[in-house]
Amino acid sequence: MNEWILFLILFLAPIISSVPIALAYKHKEWTDKLPPLSVLGIFISVLVSLYIFFCLPDKAYSYPWIPELGINFVIITDYLSKYMGVVTALIAFFIAIYGLDYMKGDYRLPWYWFFFNLFTASMLLVVYSDNLFLLFVGWEGLGAASWGLIGHWYRDDDELTYVGTMNRKVGPLNFFWPPSAGGWRAISTIRFGDVPMFIAIAAIWLFAGNLNISEIGWGALFGKVGFAGTLIIFLLFLTGLLTKSAQVPFSEWLMTAMTGPTTVSALLHSATMVAAGAYVFMRMTWYIQPWNLNNVPGLELAYTIALFIGLISGLYGALAASGMLERKVLLAATTMSSLGLMFGATAASYWIHAEVNGMNIAVLVGFWYLAIHAFAKASLFLVSGHLIHVTHTRFSVGDLEFGKKMKIGFATTIIATTFLVGIPPLTAYWVKSAMDHVMEHLAIEYSIAPLILLLVTSILYSGVLAKFMSTNFIKGEKPHEAHLEGGGLMKAGYVMMVSMLFVIFGLIFTQTELAGFVHAGFEPLSIAVGTAALAAYGFAVYKPRIASLQKLGTFFSDRMYFPYLNDYLCPKIGFFFSRICDYVSRGLDGFCNIWVMPGLFRRISESIRSIQTGELSKYVRIVLGVVMAVLILVSIGGVWL
Amino acid sequence: MMVSISTSMMMLFGALVILVLCSIFSVKYRDLGLIGAIVAVILGFAAVTLKNPELIYYSGFVLAISIINLLSLKRIKSVIQGVDYGLVGIMALATLYIFSTQDLAMVLAAFVLVSVPTYILVMIREGGANVEVGIKYITFMVLATVLFLIGAVTLVYAKNTSNGILYIFGYVMLVLGLSIEVGIAPLHEWVPDVFTSADPIPMSIIASLAKIVPFVIALRILMSTSNSLTVSITLFTAVLAAISMFTGNIGALTSKEPARVLGYSTVANMGYVLACVVVVTKPEFFYFALTGALLMLFSNAAGKIGFFNAIKNKGAYSPLMYMLAFSFIGIPPLMGFWGKLFIVFALIKAEYIWLALLLVLNSAISVPYYTRLARELGVGWKANLTNYICVAAVIIVLITILPDWFFKGMEVIAQTISIAI
Repeated sequence: MNEWILFLILFLAPIISSVPIALAYKHKEWTDKLPPLSVLGIFISVLVSLYIFFCLPDKAYSYPWIPELGINFVIITDYLSKYMGVVTALIAFFIAIYGLDYMKGDYRLPWYWFFFNLFTASMLLVVYSDNLFLLFVGWEGLGAASWGLIGHWYRDDDELTYVGTMNRKVGPLNFFWPPSAGGWRAISTIRFGDVPMFIAIAAIWLFAGNLNISEIGWGALFGKVGFAGTLIIFLLFLTGLLTKSAQVPFSEWLMTAMTGPTTVSALLHSATMVAAGAYVFMRMTWYIQPWNLNNVPGLELAYTIALFIGLISGLYGALAASGMLERKVLLAATTMSSLGLMFGATAASYWIHAEVNGMNIAVLVGFWYLAIHAFAKASLFLVSGHLIHVTHTRFSVGDLEFGKKMKIGFATTIIATTFLVGIPPLTAYWVKSAMDHVMEHLAIEYSIAPLILLLVTSILYSGVLAKFMSTNFIKGEKPHEAHLEGGGLMKAGYVMMVSMLFVIFGLIFTQTELAGFVHAGFEPLSIAVGTAALAAYGFAVYKPRIASLQKLGTFFSDRMYFPYLNDYLCPKIGFFFSRICDYVSRGLDGFCNIWVMPGLFRRISESIRSIQTGELSKYVRIVLGVVMAVLILVSIGGVWL
Repeated sequence: MMVSISTSMMMLFGALVILVLCSIFSVKYRDLGLIGAIVAVILGFAAVTLKNPELIYYSGFVLAISIINLLSLKRIKSVIQGVDYGLVGIMALATLYIFSTQDLAMVLAAFVLVSVPTYILVMIREGGANVEVGIKYITFMVLATVLFLIGAVTLVYAKNTSNGILYIFGYVMLVLGLSIEVGIAPLHEWVPDVFTSADPIPMSIIASLAKIVPFVIALRILMSTSNSLTVSITLFTAVLAAISMFTGNIGALTSKEPARVLGYSTVANMGYVLACVVVVTKPEFFYFALTGALLMLFSNAAGKIGFFNAIKNKGAYSPLMYMLAFSFIGIPPLMGFWGKLFIVFALIKAEYIWLALLLVLNSAISVPYYTRLARELGVGWKANLTNYICVAAVIIVLITILPDWFFKGMEVIAQTISIAI
């Protein structure tokens, strides 16, 4: 079988299937009918990813692109990419089905579907690429598509699409953001990370002479560039990953990314975009095998930085979420928190030497947490999108009476939250237990701080998601509106999505490499943490808001004033530099283009034309003079030569 | 071998006879001069190609240019009409012949044969003779010819006697003679005046066909006589080329009259071609320089023919004018671009990077005045001789869209370029 056709279909089916609707943008009768075709394209990718999962061996397939530079189309089908490919394609497919209903009647359907499918295809490219350059192509595709989708409602004319309380000001800054600002904040932050990442890729190419992640001799490379080199390359690369995954201090864009359609938020937060950062970190770590390179200088510091950025982001996200009143922004903050844990767990692999079937347990933990989080978080986003449609508000509202009317959404929320926060014996509990185990091991080998950060985050996280559930279905205000009719495809979307958590539950108990998770689940520490999470969940369901802590809550929901970094400090620095450049450029411009060049030009052209008097004798004098002068000079110079 | 040489010599001789006879009889039958000249040039082309098949591309271009020159002479009613065709025919035959001989005397004779007819051509105007221009022109041409010939002969003598000082004298005199002959700054004073006050049609011939031979001869002699001193003295040529580029382009940029702009444009273009002379120091890359120089001369010829005819006709079809302007500027894939590209490449190989940079910079300076020229001379389409001549000129600049065939031909010719001395 020619696999290249397969890969081509995998990546191109979503894009090609969305071209018709993009081309028909002027004909509303067509754009209303064509979305199912785009969904079909994603479905084809699902089928191909499943075929790859079940039928292809673990292997790297290489097709020449620019072989002289080591840039090739290298598609790898290993443990990570096989699972991640299926997760990505499935989630995109479920969300697409949901989107058929959710986006119905939108004024910009061609835009939406083209970028949605481009988003999916780009992520699949990131997932399956072994070549860093090819991966970077998909990476940039993600950036472009996310900009298009977050700013989808570019007219900024619907309060429902904003983020933040309208007209709220903190100091000189507006603390509410329209979709156009959301798109801009996303692309500007991501680009800030992409450039260093690209430099890091260039450096890897320079020193390793190869860009295939699975083939580079990482140990030799790090040995070659030394302590500082290792640290610089690693941190440059990490900047790209951290901006994409919205880790501290690059988290702001993710919060205002909620200005996009909910389907976009769901996709952005589960299997694409933010997951891309964590996934690429796992893929790199998988092949760098830092646990075998403990003697390489610089690497420990690099992984320590990743570990703590991840864990601090985890705590920051959970804290920020605890104060949030908007459905989607609350979920966004918890996503950031989860991603932080993924980074933390993966980074911990440096100190973890336990391997299962040749795979490091810490990376496995990070990856499976990513998968569970993807399905659970996508389900929650889809439910909250449905809630926004029904209640016409983006703030959490809904009492028990309302909850009873939204039975399926309610049930989905309960399943998704409880399965995600690590309540025993539900799906995430086993992965979280293994994570506790990893951090516990770190406490013995390295430092106790990671374990403490993880435990605090886990318990807070549990409470926050319980709050989400409670304020939307049990203890929230009674909604002013409730348009309950329709929404069949939306319900189908999130039911299918949440059901995947059961599949993963089954996998944990059947896959041999995951037996360690089950084992960790029976450790006393895990049981204690699980019980604490359950208690936090129960408490938050019972009391989702504590009036006496309102001020603290506002501080958290203002994301601890982090918007100042994005909207105030960075622009100030940027404007400062641009002003300096402006002055320098104007100075140069004035000097060269207004004064020096014209002056010089006038002089020279005047002297050239002043010769031309038409007088023959003058010409002859000049010519003979030049000839004589040259000949005399040559007579003198010739002797000397 | 002997047979073929004598056949081609016979053909050339026949061409000359036809030319002379037709010129004589053209006094009575005017069109006979034109027909005779065309037949003679074609015969000359056949003779040269028969002797050396590698020359077919070079000869083809010369043939095309000379036939266009001949046809454009129909636009003017001169007092020597009929004979003027013969003069252009002699120039064309000498230009065709220039690569075919190894004999120094023949080479220098060809130089004179191309130079002298222009003395008469430059004076042509409707119903009279432009004596003032003639005097100005001839004064400098005589000076040029004397310097050039003395320089050439001195070089050969220096080569045979291995005399360093004489070599440098010869080199400098040859280059100075060449400079006056084709109009390289700072010895270009006659160019703007003559270009402006002479009739555009003879000017189109002097600015096109007459420029090829002096350069080819200079390159051949300098290649044949180069020695260890060449590297030192080459800087002189390079500086001259740079001065000429700047003088020509800045002068053209600040001139109004189209003919004067073209005069300065010639100064600039001759500067580009003169830059090729520095590559004599690197014989292994000389064929790049030769290709560049010839493409530059041909594109300059095509452009000058088109523009001067347009001046004569008070305008020509606008798109054609723009095509010629773009070729002059050096926009790919027109011939002017390839000419500059090969020259730049050769200069880089000869380690004259600063000169290559100046050449590129000068191409940029030239953009405004060429486009202005095209705008001023561009008019709507009319089916007349001027427009047909311009179409032919545009075809010439378009024919090397892919220049590799021409380049390959030049590679062979560059190996047999030296003169027996």
